Amino acid sequence: MIVVVGLSHREAPLEVRERLAVEADGVAGLLRGLLSCPAIREALCVSTCNRIEIYAVGQQDSDEHTRAAVEAVQNALVELAGRNGAEGIVPYLKTHVRRDAVLHLFRVAASLDSLVVGEPQILGQMREALETAKTAGGIGKYLDRATNRALHVAKRVRTETAIGEGQMSIASVAVDLARQIFGELTGRTALLVGAGEMAEGAAKLLVKAGAKLLVVNRSPERARQLALEFGGGSRPWEELATALVDADVVIASTSAKGFVVTRATVGKAMKARRGRSLFFIDIAVPRDIDPAVNDIDNVYLYDIDNLSNLVAESMQGRRAEAERAEELVQHEANAFGTWTETLGVTATIVALRAKVRASLAAEVERTLTGRLKHLADGDRKALETMVDAAVNKLLHTPTTRIKALAADPRGDDLVKAVHHLFDLADTVRDIEAAQANDPPAKEEETSSPDAPATRAPAGASPGASSDAATLADVRERGTFGR
Amino acid sequence: MGVELVFYATVVAYAVATVLFFRYLARPAGGADTRKMGPRVLAVAAVLHAAYVCLASVIANVCPVKSIHFVASIAALLATGLYLAMRRRWNIDALGAFVAPVSLTFVLGSRFVGAADPAVGGGLLAVHVTVNVLGDALFLLASGTAVLYLVEERRLKQKRASSVFGKLPPLDALDLAEHRLLLIGFPLLTLGIITGTAWAHRIETGSPAEMARALFAYATWVLFAAVLVLRALLGWRGRRAAYGTIAGFLFAVAVLVVYLIRGPLGGAGGAT
Repeated sequence: MIVVVGLSHREAPLEVRERLAVEADGVAGLLRGLLSCPAIREALCVSTCNRIEIYAVGQQDSDEHTRAAVEAVQNALVELAGRNGAEGIVPYLKTHVRRDAVLHLFRVAASLDSLVVGEPQILGQMREALETAKTAGGIGKYLDRATNRALHVAKRVRTETAIGEGQMSIASVAVDLARQIFGELTGRTALLVGAGEMAEGAAKLLVKAGAKLLVVNRSPERARQLALEFGGGSRPWEELATALVDADVVIASTSAKGFVVTRATVGKAMKARRGRSLFFIDIAVPRDIDPAVNDIDNVYLYDIDNLSNLVAESMQGRRAEAERAEELVQHEANAFGTWTETLGVTATIVALRAKVRASLAAEVERTLTGRLKHLADGDRKALETMVDAAVNKLLHTPTTRIKALAADPRGDDLVKAVHHLFDLADTVRDIEAAQANDPPAKEEETSSPDAPATRAPAGASPGASSDAATLADVRERGTFGR
Repeated sequence: MGVELVFYATVVAYAVATVLFFRYLARPAGGADTRKMGPRVLAVAAVLHAAYVCLASVIANVCPVKSIHFVASIAALLATGLYLAMRRRWNIDALGAFVAPVSLTFVLGSRFVGAADPAVGGGLLAVHVTVNVLGDALFLLASGTAVLYLVEERRLKQKRASSVFGKLPPLDALDLAEHRLLLIGFPLLTLGIITGTAWAHRIETGSPAEMARALFAYATWVLFAAVLVLRALLGWRGRRAAYGTIAGFLFAVAVLVVYLIRGPLGGAGGAT
């Protein structure tokens, strides 16, 4: 049913990942394109500097539909890379399906698949991805549930393990490196080229360490605003080359597609600087600074992967916490998998309960309008309650057994038998169609990780709340009204 | 017997200081105690070393600067003293990991290389030896900072994390310290060259050892001059300056080696 196709820092180097770099607008367009494909029902794209992954839900839960969904997503990614050169992309693409895809989603959200395990940024990036996918119409019942569970799992991991404690950030490592080159940073000049969130974080730390800030941005207004915020100066974009002569640390994070600082530019700047050291921090994806500048004497260039690797190496002591977090994620993924499997029999259970209840209700209604029409409202309510209790009692064992066999190959035979015995085939089809077209319920987990407990009885499986909601709908359309 | 005791105590102190410096650099984190202990033990070693030089000179009845036997040893002692005096101001703490083992080597070398102290006389020669010993001490420190610079620069260029991350001095501090040491050492070297040339001219032996010493000494001077001039004119600093400094120091060592192997009588008082 759910598939994920994409690549990350684990399998693809930066020069491959930057060919798939896409901005927020581009992500929405990409998702809309995917959703127009008949094989895809839901789609979500997680695009960060370390990964681009598309989670998609196929039209039906069969091998054939899963293959079609994987193929559609792969084609979309190859087409995306096509703008910058698609050659050689496919071998880097990794695919996970069904439970593996869910487990991967949970691990990504919990920062267990991050280059720096435990880093907090991924949670915000997942939320952004969810919002973009919602805007593009890519979130249906399945992905809504999956992503919200993923965010819930991520919060549990952060609160129940110490994986995020004592975290070294990329910004703080960049500042440490600057100190390794220059020593005290008081009086040094930090040049901010572009303005990403992480770059601003690094600039803030450099200013705190005593450096002066200089901002160069394509938008002069934004440059002035940042300079004002950090108490520095700004220069027009055209003066970037001369600003390099005055700077000691350069933090680049523009959204430019090509290099904004070339080897030739830095070579000229170094002559004017008379060989004084120059430290570049390139946080942009695609990269802003030509990697060849690192070959110039007294020039040091660190890109996002270099910095992340240093942070990751410094966090080796977190293995025990990561193992605890893995156990937690695995447990949650299993629970979600169980819900997914019962999803296949939910329509049958709903139809069965509706049919039995409707039959009983019709008989009670006939009696209430005939021999028992003298009954008071209180007595009628008592009868309604009795019918509900009878339905629950009668169907408790069959419902439990159908759910228990949901993941078993024999479950299909059982479901077919129930359809046949109670003549449910048409009703089940209608319910499944309605479920597929239903917009997702507003998930409270985004704001509260413990929300499921308030929606369903404690200890209920994730599917139980779904059953309850649908039954409530049937009841509302019910038969006891006068 | 007392002199022997002081000698062995000096050797042990330098050896312990070496171990402490390397242990500090090799430990993945912390090591604040080891960081403090290294310089302290090195200071004790320097005091013992100075005592040994004085006692040995008194017993041999020869002025240390006129004794070939002590030339390398005194250069190492001066380098250690300079390091201890400047380590905080120039932020070159980790240089102790270079100074301590080199001083240990020179102390042992002075004991086992060059058996006798030939008589070296004359005021000119005393000045010559004194300035050269001081110069060698400075170049020893300069080449040490150059080596540390190259190690640190290579690590930063290759983006490798290591256990010494954050323990070596900043690159700019190393580069500046190396430049300052050369700036101070170069006039001494120049004076050494002048006095050496005058002495060589006076005795006019023209032996191959004397010629080799003179050649290495002039090469040393040219190399250090080039490092300083190119830095001032073309901004050649960092790696290039470090390579130049190490090359210059190797030539200075070559002069010393010829001096120790052949002795001053091969042409008493070469260029350095």
